[in-house]
Amino acid sequence: MSADEHRLRSGRPRGRWSGRVFYAFLLLSLAIGFATLGALLVQVVAEGYKWVDAVLFLEPPSANPKIAGAEPAILATIYLGVLLLAFTIPLGLGTAIYLEEYADRNRWYNRLLEVNIQNLAAVPSIVYGILGLAFLVRGLGLGRVLLAGAMILTLLVLPTVIIAAREAIRGVPDSIRQGAYALGATKWQVVWRQVLPAATPGIATGSILALSRGLGETAPLLLVGALTYVAFNPTPLGEFTALPVQIFQWVARPQDEFRVLAAAGIIVLLGILLTLNAFAIWLRNRYQRRW
Amino acid sequence: MRMSFQEELDRLQANLHEEADLVLRSLRGALNALQQRDIELADEVIAFDDEVDDRYLAIGQGIEQLLARQTPVAVDLRLVLAVLHINLGLERMADLCVTISKLTKLTVELEHDTTLVEAFEEMGSRAEEMIRVAMTSFAHRDLAGAESLVDLDELIDRANRRVVNHVLELGTDPEIREWGLRMIIVSRCLERVGDHAVDIGEQTAYLVTGEFREFTDASHPEDA
Amino acid sequence: MAYVSVNLAERAHELPPRGRREVVFDVDELGVSYSENKALQGVSLEIYRNFVTAFIGPSGCGKSTFIRCFNRMNDLIPSANVEGKILYHGEDLYGSHVDPVEVRKLIGMVFQKPNPFPKSIYDNVAFGPRVLGMDGSLDDRVEKALRQAALWDEVKDRLKAGALSLSGGQQQRLCIARCLAVEPEVLLMDEPASALDPIATTRIEDLMHELKRDYTIIVVTHNMQQAARVADMTAFFTVTRGDEGQRTGILVEYDATSKIFTQPSDKRTEDYVTGRFG
Repeated sequence: MSADEHRLRSGRPRGRWSGRVFYAFLLLSLAIGFATLGALLVQVVAEGYKWVDAVLFLEPPSANPKIAGAEPAILATIYLGVLLLAFTIPLGLGTAIYLEEYADRNRWYNRLLEVNIQNLAAVPSIVYGILGLAFLVRGLGLGRVLLAGAMILTLLVLPTVIIAAREAIRGVPDSIRQGAYALGATKWQVVWRQVLPAATPGIATGSILALSRGLGETAPLLLVGALTYVAFNPTPLGEFTALPVQIFQWVARPQDEFRVLAAAGIIVLLGILLTLNAFAIWLRNRYQRRW
Repeated sequence: MRMSFQEELDRLQANLHEEADLVLRSLRGALNALQQRDIELADEVIAFDDEVDDRYLAIGQGIEQLLARQTPVAVDLRLVLAVLHINLGLERMADLCVTISKLTKLTVELEHDTTLVEAFEEMGSRAEEMIRVAMTSFAHRDLAGAESLVDLDELIDRANRRVVNHVLELGTDPEIREWGLRMIIVSRCLERVGDHAVDIGEQTAYLVTGEFREFTDASHPEDA
Repeated sequence: MAYVSVNLAERAHELPPRGRREVVFDVDELGVSYSENKALQGVSLEIYRNFVTAFIGPSGCGKSTFIRCFNRMNDLIPSANVEGKILYHGEDLYGSHVDPVEVRKLIGMVFQKPNPFPKSIYDNVAFGPRVLGMDGSLDDRVEKALRQAALWDEVKDRLKAGALSLSGGQQQRLCIARCLAVEPEVLLMDEPASALDPIATTRIEDLMHELKRDYTIIVVTHNMQQAARVADMTAFFTVTRGDEGQRTGILVEYDATSKIFTQPSDKRTEDYVTGRFG
């Protein structure tokens, strides 16, 4: 009998062992990644959970760790988030709609625009910080205020939002547009009444993911003026700090208790970000369209 | 579903039944002309054949259209093919009526035998009955009715043979002998009408069973 | 009996004689090219009111390109260039003062793959009247359109249900209802049944038969038997090869369907309908 038949009868197919080794390697990679992350998380939570209490949320920071809280930082992070959404969604959506529905791909400036957006997503965040310092804080004379922080975060996450929105818009099949045009709709009616509603789940998911990335950034905020010690609640045109910055400040203090406080802050920050991400994933699964 | 197709099929069959009605009128006219030695009536029958031909062509066109445009299958296909054959048969019957009328005209002045003339009336009525039975069986898809045509045809066939024997005994008068010869042809025409009616019955059987078979075979009479 | 045959021929084709037909579209030497490629060339014919007209031919012969000229959908393709003329009730469809949006209200289109919007059944049918700002009761318009598309009885109890929950055949009838809701004069159908099963196909064909009482219908189909069943007039297109090997579509024959399928005038038509093409 042939070699294949022999293998069939003996129950020992080709590549049995190499298949198993490969599978084991995959599992190992997964395990290393998860184990490391898990270890970090466990360490932080174990250290800080006792201090995640009302004081943390409601009191301003102070030199005394026992009464120090992160209320200004948490509030600032929330304000930053709201401003971020308010800025990025119109800008990002508008750009995406222009590029997908209106731009003529053959024109040089549109191609330039597309290439640049891909590149901007890769720029390190500290560069955005320097940009913000030079143009917003000093150039426009805004000063080291919350608004400047929000604006710079907007620039940081904008490429991501544009890319996500474009994917969502591209995901709407052309047959829908054709059907709408054939009924006598104008271009604007097609975009506003068919394309955007159909692309909304994708756009929402992309925006939330961008938001969560923006809220976790520290470097650009530091450069734009997030102070490390702020004892008052923030206003848009006032000085501010943010949760990542606050954590950074606490870690730098000599007392051990501040490290615990920092861990508590990390738990809060992680909580916010993980909740946002989970919400984005739930949104995507719930409204995912099968065309 | 496929309403327009069904309507076309119905219309085709309705036209066929109308054609059969025309053939019956033709036959009745020819028989009466023969009985009453009526030349005018005979001429009317001959002219009337145009109407039958009209129907014949129209139905032929209808069949062509139906086959080209609707691609019928199964029972629909058998129906269209049956209509095709029956259409042919009816037109032939009408032509036979024309022949009878022409012979009537030819022999009107000649001496005749009244017994034979009465026999033709009986043969003719039988033929009329066969046409009616054939068309009704077709309309109702009645297999038994179609098969009964064989027995009716047997009666006409026997009558035809008796006519031949009778003519042979008509005598030596040349006029009556000429008349007799012509009448044999008339008898043959009526016998042929009967055969065509049986063909219609065979088409009905084909439509119902999907098998095409002859009810009787002239070359194997012992199988009948 | 020659004169009898000719009259019967006309009667058999069952179409009103040329003098009594109303012309809706008059196409004159129409050609379409995409960038440098000539997809269609030199097409001239008339489309008659309340007729179903079918375009048949092998793939690549330009029949889909042609039908899209009637409602200016080729305008949406930047590289498409239309030359020649289409007159709609005497008006040049591509005239400089003509608004494509208006054209598409009067001349609706149903596509090969059913493309209902991802909205409710009601909102699908109501979309056209809403964007066009049609007055009167929206509910009445939706019901009337769904009745005309022979879909009302199946969906009247679940108008708010998603359109994508319908079967393929129902979705296509929904797309037809969507078109009818804007009260067009003409319906263009680009292979409307090719994505459907045979029973759904028969329902669409029966629907075409009913709709032609009130509308003028043009249908592209790659299924010859379908053209034979539904169309009053049939136009046969074929592909010609140019000197450099480019493929261009041309009109070969345009006549009553009964004639095309019993006695076509052109050998190319006969080769195609008998299946001996290629």
